[in-house]
Amino acid sequence: MADHTQELRARIFLRSALPLVKVVAEERPRYRKLLFKANGVVQFAASDSDRAAWIELGDGTIDVKQGLHPNPSITVKFKTLKDLNTFFAGGTALPSLKRLAGIPNLLRVVPFLLKLKVLMPNAVPTDPAGKALKVKMLLYMVSNALSQLNKGGDETMVKLVKNSPDRIFQWTVEGGGPAAYLRMRGGQTKAGRGTYTRRRPYVHMIFPDIEGAFDVLTQKVGTVDAVRYNKLRMEGAMEGGKEVGLLMQRVEALTTGA
Amino acid sequence: MAKAEGLTWTVDDADHMTQAEIYGEVLTQLALKNEKIVAMTADLATSTKIGKFQAKIPERFFDFGIAEANMVAVASGIAETGLIPVISTFAVFASLRAAEFVRTDLCYQKRNVKIIGTHSGTSFGQAGTTHHCTEDLAVMRSFANMVVIAPADARETAKAVEAVLGWDGPCYIRIGRGFEPPLHKDLDFDFEIGKAIELRDGHDVTVIACGVTVLHAMEAAARAAANGVSVRVLDMHTIKPIDEAAVLKAVADTRRIITAEDHSVVGGLGSAVADLIAKSGKGCAFRKLGYQDEFSIVGYPEDLLHHYKIDADGILEAIAEVVRAEFEQDENWEDED
Repeated sequence: MADHTQELRARIFLRSALPLVKVVAEERPRYRKLLFKANGVVQFAASDSDRAAWIELGDGTIDVKQGLHPNPSITVKFKTLKDLNTFFAGGTALPSLKRLAGIPNLLRVVPFLLKLKVLMPNAVPTDPAGKALKVKMLLYMVSNALSQLNKGGDETMVKLVKNSPDRIFQWTVEGGGPAAYLRMRGGQTKAGRGTYTRRRPYVHMIFPDIEGAFDVLTQKVGTVDAVRYNKLRMEGAMEGGKEVGLLMQRVEALTTGA
Repeated sequence: MAKAEGLTWTVDDADHMTQAEIYGEVLTQLALKNEKIVAMTADLATSTKIGKFQAKIPERFFDFGIAEANMVAVASGIAETGLIPVISTFAVFASLRAAEFVRTDLCYQKRNVKIIGTHSGTSFGQAGTTHHCTEDLAVMRSFANMVVIAPADARETAKAVEAVLGWDGPCYIRIGRGFEPPLHKDLDFDFEIGKAIELRDGHDVTVIACGVTVLHAMEAAARAAANGVSVRVLDMHTIKPIDEAAVLKAVADTRRIITAEDHSVVGGLGSAVADLIAKSGKGCAFRKLGYQDEFSIVGYPEDLLHHYKIDADGILEAIAEVVRAEFEQDENWEDED
């Protein structure tokens, strides 16, 4: 049985990172072409855990579902959840493949999985489109991963959320850029895309543009300097900003295995 | 809001003066500089502290005896000559006994008369229910043309008195018996009729209070902060015209609203805020603190505020409840992926 940290890491990889293949498909027509006339299910699982997810290809579409599919085209199965995590963190871990007839589907999925590496700190695109994609994926991943920390029982996050009033942590890239939010209240969390409109955020991290967001999210500049150089504007409760900053570091530590 | 022409006043030692004493003092100082100001009472010169005016300017002071309705009618006539009558009596008599005259002779005629209702709420607690006044905001607020103000402490009362004298039309200021502790440390704050004072910013809940409950709201907010709950406090000194922008901003920002008043929950500040929220169509968790449609019992004011849960303890309790309140119709905690 995998330990709690590995369960938490896998939860983040499978629920927060893996679904971003949909963003890749939306943003990159070249990748969408790979889905043409593709139908089937690519299952990811580990022998020592019930945690699993599958990618569903449906003639031009790609989707991600949690759990075990009853009849996958192919199963990418790791010996341990730790190996699965190593694989998704960009390391080397060899899985076994079951139902080899599904290999063509796996080959269509691999480029998407490789594109997820853009989430890693060492992936530093230099072109504007690459930066924009990384920012969007990071915002979506981080907001979702914070929610997963709570749902997965991370002690610090659970403590923060348990008695929390209704609070919104919002990230926005101005000028039509991506936005994401995390809502928490009384033990519950929800990660969402776009702007939460029902109330003012408790903490609002506003990036003036993609460049600013990229520099901050990749830690090219620290938060203090980012504010000083107008790459970041914080509105709302400053103490909440510090809390969420620490939790974002926790997410990074879990995804990189640091 | 511009000051009334030629009017200035100073209050050096508000810590040692009650809300009513300040009002009497400020009114007298203003009247010494503005000969248009005329003071009236109905056998309550000492209790309402308008006696200070009587001592300094007896020629412009009129005591009508126990004849509040008559006093209001005369004030209306005097106002027609260009003078500014300031009526001072217990809130319960000004708002209830003289109600028809206030409505017809002052508000309907839009007369420039100011009413200072003292001993409002349960501030005269030990005098009994007959002398409590938990309906005046509702009554006065319902009269067209009437401005209704409930200052939070002595210093705010001083500013309110000055403000209403610069306002052309009928105004009602309700204050307590005069033993309310100070909220403001000094006079360094803006007071404008119809503009709430944001005393404390917060992100989780907003407490909108008036009168003596503002101080309690501040204490509750400080105690809530120690438990990690961020509370905004609005001093809504003007119940009418209410600061719509401040209320709607609070709804948008915190979506959890508590009103607190030393008054019935029917028709006062809570109702005014509720009307506004309903009109806006915005949803929020909402609690009205005050006297819950019942006659108040007899006791010391501080005990009564506690009994009716409009002191810091009661407001804190309401904050904890409202923070947990379920009110969204579309609660959905599934993450978007």
